[in-house]
Formats: sequence, structure tokens, C-alpha cells
Amino acid sequence: MRKSKQKSLFTFICVAPSVILFTIFMLIPTINIFWMSLLKWGGLSANKKFVGLSNFIKLFSDLNFIRSLQNTLFLIVIVTLVTISFALVFAAILTREKLKGQNILRIVFYIPNILSVVVISAIFSAVYDPSNGLLNTIVGLFQPENWKTIKFLGNPDIVVYSIAGAMIWQAIGYYMVMYMASMSSISIHLYEAADLEGASKIKQFFDITLPLIWTNIRTTLTFFVISSINLSFLFVKVMTTGGPDGASETVLSYLYKQAYDNASYGYGMAIGAVVFVVSFLLSAVINHVTKRDVIQF
Amino acid sequence: MTKLFKLLFVGLLLFVSVACAKKEETTTTTTTTEEQKVLKVAGLNGGYGDAGWKAVAAAFEEQTGVKVELTLEKNIAETLRPVLTSGKDVPDVIYLSVGAEGKLTDTMIAEKQIADISDLLSTTIPGESGTVGAKIIPGFTDALTSSPYQDGKLYLAPINYSPCGLFYNAGLFEEKGWTVPTTWDEMWELGDKAKAEGIALFTYPTTGYFDAFFSALLNETAGPEVYARLMNYDATAWELPEVKKAFEIVGKLATYTEENTVSNANKDGFTKNQQLILENKALFVPNGTWLPGEMKDAPREKGFKWGFMALPSVTAGSDRYSTTFVEQVYIPEASANKDVAKQFVAFLYSDKAVELFYKNGGAVLPTTTASSFIEDGSDAKLFYSIYDTGAKANAVGFAAREAIEGVDLTSAEGILYGTVNSVVNGSKTVDDWYNSVIEAVKQYNK
Repeated sequence: MRKSKQKSLFTFICVAPSVILFTIFMLIPTINIFWMSLLKWGGLSANKKFVGLSNFIKLFSDLNFIRSLQNTLFLIVIVTLVTISFALVFAAILTREKLKGQNILRIVFYIPNILSVVVISAIFSAVYDPSNGLLNTIVGLFQPENWKTIKFLGNPDIVVYSIAGAMIWQAIGYYMVMYMASMSSISIHLYEAADLEGASKIKQFFDITLPLIWTNIRTTLTFFVISSINLSFLFVKVMTTGGPDGASETVLSYLYKQAYDNASYGYGMAIGAVVFVVSFLLSAVINHVTKRDVIQF
Repeated sequence: MTKLFKLLFVGLLLFVSVACAKKEETTTTTTTTEEQKVLKVAGLNGGYGDAGWKAVAAAFEEQTGVKVELTLEKNIAETLRPVLTSGKDVPDVIYLSVGAEGKLTDTMIAEKQIADISDLLSTTIPGESGTVGAKIIPGFTDALTSSPYQDGKLYLAPINYSPCGLFYNAGLFEEKGWTVPTTWDEMWELGDKAKAEGIALFTYPTTGYFDAFFSALLNETAGPEVYARLMNYDATAWELPEVKKAFEIVGKLATYTEENTVSNANKDGFTKNQQLILENKALFVPNGTWLPGEMKDAPREKGFKWGFMALPSVTAGSDRYSTTFVEQVYIPEASANKDVAKQFVAFLYSDKAVELFYKNGGAVLPTTTASSFIEDGSDAKLFYSIYDTGAKANAVGFAAREAIEGVDLTSAEGILYGTVNSVVNGSKTVDDWYNSVIEAVKQYNK
């Protein structure tokens, strides 16, 4: 009896600090966002007016918000698909094959991750530059003299792809390292057996590697959703400021503009609440859809 | 074992309470031992730099014995926002313009968080015999940026004024033998001539610069009376044909705009657009007098010489306008030292401060004596003489209104200015732009 009481006290003391911190810095602010989303408030004064769901009603008829939500969802999908395929292929090659300079390659792939987003944005702004950027100069080699350069950041139809390009470049290394970690824990015997049976490398990848790192891939999918929402804000803020004319706006950059530039803090928080729910739902759906029996070896 | 935990727990509690108590103790001692008054001044470290403010703060300390705590930062809107929201340690004086990035001042106005400083005008300037009201050039304190509610009261003190207009390479015009256009028709002619030589007529750093450009243009097409109504969200005024004329001029200008402008019209690339003027790839760029300073280290074509003019007139002989860009200082309602703060703001208009501001960064205050510090033959003389050579001055900025969720009419990327990017890259027509502005203005009148 005494012992179990002692044990529960011990657990309480051990857990208390993180629970307190989590409550103060995560739980309360999150609840606060939902509360503030019901207010008409500029964000600075004590002058708050309760308006019920009016912010949300306005939100769903606000075409700019819908466009920014579309952009965000598009970025989540395209960045996840492209990054995951590249990261898996690179990870498989680097763990399974004996390559010269393997370690150098690993470092090179990982470097974008230690650079700050601002630096990456500056690099990509230079790459996308319409007059003397890397991409336009290369494409221009195969074009006639009077060819008009591609406006990667100036054409509203292309700009989201340009942002996606920078995000993919930035993300591949990080996910590659994650997949490599789980791939290297797969027993080598499985591959040897497969080799003896005459399975090709591609067959081995799909029938051994992928199923065995499936749990890891599922975890990273949630990461993809969260990080695409967050990082797209940073890239957009530095590279295009949401422009031209809002064509590259994402939900968070639109939130920021409404809450600060447009003095509609309550409205901004309503966007925040929607983002919160959408990212939760998205993660839940992805988690559900990708559910498989865990394969162990 | 339990004893040990209890001891640990009590120890933790003690530590926390001691740590908190200690902090309280230190704060009380500093306030009691400090007899000297402290004035907190926060502001933007912007185009004029911070040397002027440092010098003026030192002069004020010397004159009055009040200690000035100066915080000037490039991202002051971001650092001040949480301070103002919490309401603790609020600065006594804030130097941040209406419309500045982050829209902090605009939010302060909309939320009525700025102290009424109407009596500043009758305050005697420290160290001088005259009042502030007598020293400020007439007209400045009536502008919407100083008296945003149009109730005859002063809330934001005007400082650092500068004319905005079109900058060009005067050297190129001499070399090619072109005359500087005075009407928009001459402008289009020049545009065609330049196009033949592979030079674009126009570029702009970002759409944020259209506030000054477009205000001047609206004054030219519709006149100052209509302009005043426009800035008060008068929908019938926005529907006038002469107002639409201004939109059409921008629409035509869009066809003469350098092709890469939109790609670079963002925070990261705007200097590339300004660089086009230095490299003779575009002829005109709308900007303020800080431009030569901002681009002073940039490479340029041989024979480059800054030229500066007001907007061309709509018809020959009609008025030409140049927007006067004015910055503001104000005292937040939450300041605890309003009287000292007012003294400080009054001191900004003293001859001593005016000279220090000009010598350390080139800022010109809107006082009757400020122009005497500008040397003949300097770039500044050229810029500030624009009103002496026939251009009329107009103010910029809308009247304060309660924010409308999801409708951003006035910010750099908002409906009125941000859409210019779409007009230039062809994804929207002038009519689309004009109609969306009218629609947005109408929402303010509901």
C-alpha cells in the first residue's frame, strides 16, 4: 500500500513539470485561439467584441482565404509526393549500394536542412531570377534569341510551383536521413535471400524495404503535413510576400496579413482555428488510410 | 524515501519563491534609488538610420536631465506588438509611420490607443521661445496621418517629410537628347522612343510604393476636393469618371513596365527593380528621397546622375503633384510619462534637433527653418525644391476606419495597390481592378 502510494507520488513529481509546461505553453494558447476567433478585435486594445461565429461565416465566403487554403493543400500534396519519392530512392541507394563518396553525398543531401529558410529563399530567388537566374539561363540556351524568360515568381500560374521547388529541395535531405535510419536496421539476410531467389533490386525495394519501413513512412507523412504548413509560410514571406497579387498566399501568410496588416486579429485567429482543425483532420485521414498490419522480422 | 521527496518538493517550492521574491526586490530597489526620470523611446531604424535619433536623444538629456532610453530596430513593429498587447513597459514615445510594414500604427489608430496631443501645438519648444504650432509648416498637422479621426485633434506629430515622385537617370536623358516629359502624353511618346532602344519606360520597387504614386495621380485627375472624399471611403467619389482615369493611366503604364518588375516586386527583389534605373534598363521609378542613399553602393552606368520630378500632368498646363511622405511620432495612451514624452516630442522641433536630424542621416523635419540646413547643390536641394518649381504637394493615407475582416484595401499587397502586379502581368484588366476597389470601398460604408 505504502509502496504504491510512494510510486504514484514519484510519477506525479516526474510528470508534473512537463504537464505544467505543456498546459501553459500549448493547451491554454490553443484554447485561447478558439476563444479569440469568436471576437472582433484589433489585437492591441482591451476593446474586444464577441461576435460569435461571424468570423467563420465570413471566412468561408472569403475568396482570398479559399485560394490560400488551396495553395496550402496543393503544396502539402506536391511537396509530400515528390519529396517522399526522391528521399526513398536516395535513401535506398545510399544504404543498399556501395558507392564512392557515400558519406560526402549524405552530407550534401543533408546540408539544405541546416541552412535557414531565409538563406534558402535567397538562393532560390537567385535561381529563379528572370534576367540572369540559373534556370532561365539554362533554358535560354535552347531558345531563340527573342525568347521571353520564364517569370518563376512573377507569373501567378507558376509561382506556387516555384515555392514547391524550394520546399522540396530543402526537405529531401531530412527525410532521406530518417528513411536511411530505418532502412539500415533491416536485416541484410532478407536481401541476401531475395538475391538468391533472383529478385531484382526494384522488386527488393518494393517487397522488402518499403513494407519494413512502413511505420516510419506513416510517421513522416504527419511531419509532411505539419512542416509544409509551417515552412510554406516562411518561404512565401521571404520570396514573394504572397504575391504577385496574392497568387502565392498560403493559409498562414494570409492569417498573418489579416491579423496584423488588416488589424483583424480575431479573424486571423479564426483562420488559425481552421488550420488547426484541417491539419488534424488531414493527419487523421492519412493515418487511417495508410494503416497496414505491422510487419516484423 | 517519502521524506526525501517531501524535502525535495519543499526545496523546489522554496527555490521558486526565493527566485521570484528576489526579482521583486531588485525591481523595487531600482525604482526607489532612481530619482532621475526615464523616458522610453522606441522606433524604426529605417531609411534615415539611427544616428539622428541618438544625437537628438543625447541633446535632450543634456537639456532637461531626463534619461532617454532609445530602442530603434528594423523590425520594431514585431518587437513592439507583444509589449503593447501586454500593456506593460509601454514606450512613452513611438516613432513609426502610418502605413509602415506590420501596420502597427494603423492598428493603434483603429483601436484608439494613441494619446491626444492637441496641446503639443501650444507647448513651448524646450530651449526656445516659440511654440511647436508656430514652428511646424502649416497644413502638416491637419493631414489624415496626424489627425486620423478628423475631429480637429492632433494625435500623431508629423516629422521627417520628403517628397515622393519619379526618379530617373538625368545623365541618360542628356546623352540621348531626350526632354523630360511634363505630361502623360509626352510620357507615352518617350515610352515608345525608349522601347525602340530596348529601354522600358517604367518600373516600381514593390506595389507598396503605389500609395504615394497613386495619391498624386488621383489628385491630378480628380483634384484635391475629390481626393479628400476618396480617402474618406466615399463610394460615390470612387465611381467618378475622373477617378477611373487614374486607374486607366496606371493600366497604360503597365504596358510600358519593365517585364521582370513583377517577379522582383517583393521584399527580396525590390532593389533589383531599383537597379534597373542605375543600369539604364528602365527610365522612371516611383520612390522617396531615401532612394539615392539606399542605392549608394550599387553599381551604375557611366555618367549616371539622379534626376527627380513630380508626376507628369494629365493635360498640358494642368497641375502636377508630388506626394509628401511624412513620418509620425506619437505617445501611446498607455504611456506613464505623457508630460515628459510631450516635452520630448516638442524638442524634436527645436532648431538644434532639426539640425542634428539633418546632419545625421538627412531627415528633414517639417519646420519653417529646416530647409535652411540643406546645402545648395546637394541631392537633397534638388529633391526638396520640387515644390518650388511648380509641383503641388498632396498627403497620403486613408481616414481611420474599423477594420473589415478579409477586406484589405490599403496595404502594400491589398486590393488598391497589390492588384497593380496583376494588371502588369496581364492576369487582370483595369476594369477588374477598378471594380474590386469600388466593391471594397462600398463595404466600408455598410
